[in-house]
Amino acid sequence: MDLPHEPTQLTAMSIAALGAAFRAGTLSPVTLTQACLDRIARFDNTLHSFITVTADRALATARKAEAELKAGQDRGPFHGIPYALKDIVDAEGVPTTAHSRLMPETPATTDAHVTALLEKAGGILLGKLGTFEFALGGPSWDLPWPPPLNPWNTDFLPGGSSSGSGTAVAAGFVPAAIGTDTGGSVRWPAACCGIVGLKPTYGRISRRGVQPNTFSIDHCGPMTRTVRDCAIMLGAIAGHDPLDPGSLEAPVPDYVAALTGDIKGTRIGLIRNWYAGEATAEVTEAVDRAAVLLASLGAIVEEVVLPDIGHYADAKTLISMSELFTIHAPDLRTRPEMFGAKLRQRVIGGAFIRAEDYLNAQRWRAELARGLNAQFGKFDALVTAGWLNAADPADPAGSDFFRRGRNVTMPFSVAGVPSLSVPIGFGAHGLPLAMQVAGPPLAEATVLRIGHAYEQATEWHTKSPVLHAGVSA
Amino acid sequence: MTASPTPEEIALLARQAGLDLPPAYLKELTEAYGNVRQMIDRIPTGRPRGDEPAHVFVPTKFLPAGE
Repeated sequence: MDLPHEPTQLTAMSIAALGAAFRAGTLSPVTLTQACLDRIARFDNTLHSFITVTADRALATARKAEAELKAGQDRGPFHGIPYALKDIVDAEGVPTTAHSRLMPETPATTDAHVTALLEKAGGILLGKLGTFEFALGGPSWDLPWPPPLNPWNTDFLPGGSSSGSGTAVAAGFVPAAIGTDTGGSVRWPAACCGIVGLKPTYGRISRRGVQPNTFSIDHCGPMTRTVRDCAIMLGAIAGHDPLDPGSLEAPVPDYVAALTGDIKGTRIGLIRNWYAGEATAEVTEAVDRAAVLLASLGAIVEEVVLPDIGHYADAKTLISMSELFTIHAPDLRTRPEMFGAKLRQRVIGGAFIRAEDYLNAQRWRAELARGLNAQFGKFDALVTAGWLNAADPADPAGSDFFRRGRNVTMPFSVAGVPSLSVPIGFGAHGLPLAMQVAGPPLAEATVLRIGHAYEQATEWHTKSPVLHAGVSA
Repeated sequence: MTASPTPEEIALLARQAGLDLPPAYLKELTEAYGNVRQMIDRIPTGRPRGDEPAHVFVPTKFLPAGE
């Protein structure tokens, strides 16, 4: 096998470039997989992104992919691509820890739907990634695995709850990972880690085989280093699953074909009141600059004022806490000491929420969703900040959930509409900044097209963090 | 905003919720409940009787596996 690529180049390449190299015969999935595994072995003892590395399985799958590609059995653009799963997503034969002492150590007996689709597409599972406990309680230092750190600056965290997914993709351990998002858990780590993350439409990707956080708001989503890669991964995992009651029956378009680079005449509503005066100055300035750039590319950008983000957070949080308590109450009643403190604090608050309060929150959600969707009569997409600040310090004494700052990702969670986090620069301490591009239900192609046009006009996606090997434990 | 419940009220509510928690966790519960109560009080109420929540049941979604 001709190998013109250095290992460090390999692990920085996009899925699109890797696929081209496979098909040109200049690169083998085995070589790529080994390069990723070597990089994980060298650097992840500092970053803590992986809970489980499935090296033998990965190399066996890579050899199979190599043989299939050589024989012309091409499964599509994800064939031979290494990926990893947030460790609340099942993969047959691998334990799902949910980053928690509460989970059994036995391996999962079946794949989650999203895992099965990635396997069918020829993906190569490299392992399972750290998360906030049950995609909720974190970052936590009182669990069997330490919280992942931010590869851009290890004094800081990667956001969460898909923290390991953000770290692993940004660090070049894998070109793609699956995250999950209930209130921002794909988009927050994507923003903090300088990668692309998509929370799709509710029901666009099946949640079957994924540990629940909030049944009525949970989403799976792709996390990658470029928008094109995000489109490739979404194409592999979107679609109807009859065994997920929330799954949508809707055709899956060619998301890559939507990346035309042309956003001339695209109507974009800039929700400035969700970040101006709320976000740090560096975030505000970066989002404002991004909006100017979108306009320079031909988009028609107009400021729009939407209800305060606190309204969406109230609805989302009450719904989540009610559903969370139902999910975790049996463990809370019998073995509360097994919870990490942050998960227990989140779950316990749901104990006294009445059915009336829950359903009023669901009514409020409906009203908020209708109001947000009404904007799509005037705009093709909405743009706002990706997160209101850069990454938080890695401080075990850091703020708890109720004291954490206001949340700019929850409105699109409440409405169940697609929202893409795209890098838009760097702030203090070398930490990434991001914007969200959101669209109406099932308009993933539109938000990807806008994100891609922005990305191609900038160089943020070409930057990679410089990693430092730590001392092995 | 609703007045803060007393520790005795919290203990009673916890028992009604099936929670027999040690004192340290009751403190967590009290703090969390205070925050939850504020959120509940901010949710608009007084809605029409027929105002549907974002919450529907689709009977075809709950067939036995394989059907």
